[in-house]
Amino acid sequence: MANVLDLRRRIRSVKNTRQITKAMKMVSAAKLRRAQERAMAARPYAQMLLNVLESLVRRTDLYNEETGEVLHPLLVEREEKNILVVVIAGDKGFAGGFNANVGKAAQKFINARTAKGQNIDLEPVGKKAIGFYKRKFDAAFYEKTEEHYDNDLSTHYESIRQRKGQIEVAAEHLELLLRTNFEDVTAMARDIIKRYERAEIDSVYIVYNEFKSVLQQRIVVEKLLPIRKLGEHTIESAEERTDEERDAAIRAAESEGISVREPDMTEFEAEAKKFGTADVDYIFDQAPEDLFAHLLPRYVATQLFHALLESTAAEHAARMTATDAATKNAGDLIDSLSLTMNRVRQAAITKEIIEIVSGAAAL
Amino acid sequence: MAEGIQNGLLAVRLVTPDRVLLDATAEAVELPSAAGYLEALYGAAPLLAELGAGEVRLHGGTSGDQKFFVAWGFVEVLPERVTILAETAMHPDEIDRAGAVADLALGHKMWAEAGDDGAKYDEANEITRKAEEEIASADGKS
Repeated sequence: MANVLDLRRRIRSVKNTRQITKAMKMVSAAKLRRAQERAMAARPYAQMLLNVLESLVRRTDLYNEETGEVLHPLLVEREEKNILVVVIAGDKGFAGGFNANVGKAAQKFINARTAKGQNIDLEPVGKKAIGFYKRKFDAAFYEKTEEHYDNDLSTHYESIRQRKGQIEVAAEHLELLLRTNFEDVTAMARDIIKRYERAEIDSVYIVYNEFKSVLQQRIVVEKLLPIRKLGEHTIESAEERTDEERDAAIRAAESEGISVREPDMTEFEAEAKKFGTADVDYIFDQAPEDLFAHLLPRYVATQLFHALLESTAAEHAARMTATDAATKNAGDLIDSLSLTMNRVRQAAITKEIIEIVSGAAAL
Repeated sequence: MAEGIQNGLLAVRLVTPDRVLLDATAEAVELPSAAGYLEALYGAAPLLAELGAGEVRLHGGTSGDQKFFVAWGFVEVLPERVTILAETAMHPDEIDRAGAVADLALGHKMWAEAGDDGAKYDEANEITRKAEEEIASADGKS
């Protein structure tokens, strides 16, 4: 049996660990609060953009009247042969099942699609997802060609995709989660749209942890392109959390004083809903068709931006829950070790007394 | 805001993807629409326009004259309100001038390498124009 000194050392070590996890929990709670605020602050812009698009849809013909053909490439539904899957996980571990759960949902989707003979392009966001997929799959290969003509006055560059395997990693975004700014997300969206427009990919899905509030969270596979209906999230599949996970998250949030429900709509957000919808006849500076074409890619970028902000909030929430559980477990362990230590000490004392008493009796 | 309306002032709001950057009033607002600068005054006709790169300038109003550099956006002008959606918006003194100079060079390089691809020319022109406007705004010349 361990002696009192060993036990005392162990208790001290567990106490130190508990202090660390407690600090981590507080940091995650603060980060979660900030991430939630950011997600809220980003809503008015997205809402306004959507309003303008919707009002433009009413003024433009999206379909060719004679053939019924869709006029904007981002709205065209093609047969899905090559699919792009954007997997948003985290940069760091110690967040419970956060990274693993996103990975599992992505894998399930990938398995279902590869079984149908479809090709998958992966675009992982966050260190964890990048590390995992890069080890497993090859990177996409582009053959670059250069054509010179007009006596070398003009050059034509082209890169052609050479597919080698059924699953390949098309791009990776290492820095995106560090400071999620809209400019970087727009660049990513533009790149995806380019590939979509030249039919390198036929549809785009994002796998991420949706975060409405501490209460309302789930892992979703959402269709980003083609756009089926403006302003609606086309959810392909969703994994709800277990009651146990939810209870743990609520307990952690409440202990840090974070509201578990979705915050109320801000004044700006309420006003954003009215943007571009006043009952007046607007003058358009440009042809509505042109505006629509310019706005649609931006809409895709806002969708992506939102997914990233929500995923970031979810990651902090998951880390807060995990560290809360760790703190609680450390407390339990300390209690149990203290009990054992007291028993051992008592046993030693009892033994000594018996020895003294027996010694006295023998005299 | 009711006070502003009584005074014949426009309620001006500048919204970026990150947050609501500005909520103020002004007598007049200059806007860099994609087709050229336009100015909105109190009582203007309702208008929806795309914004290019350039400066949004507020004149008069409770918080005085203000300038913001914006790059691509969208504006809704109503008789008593101007709402600007801008992908990038910042004070002119926040502009990264060295970055803009680098972007200008990149724009020129892309233009030279665009070959026969129309979309690439558009992209190069967009980058060049944004960089030029950024430099002009940073230098206080635009």
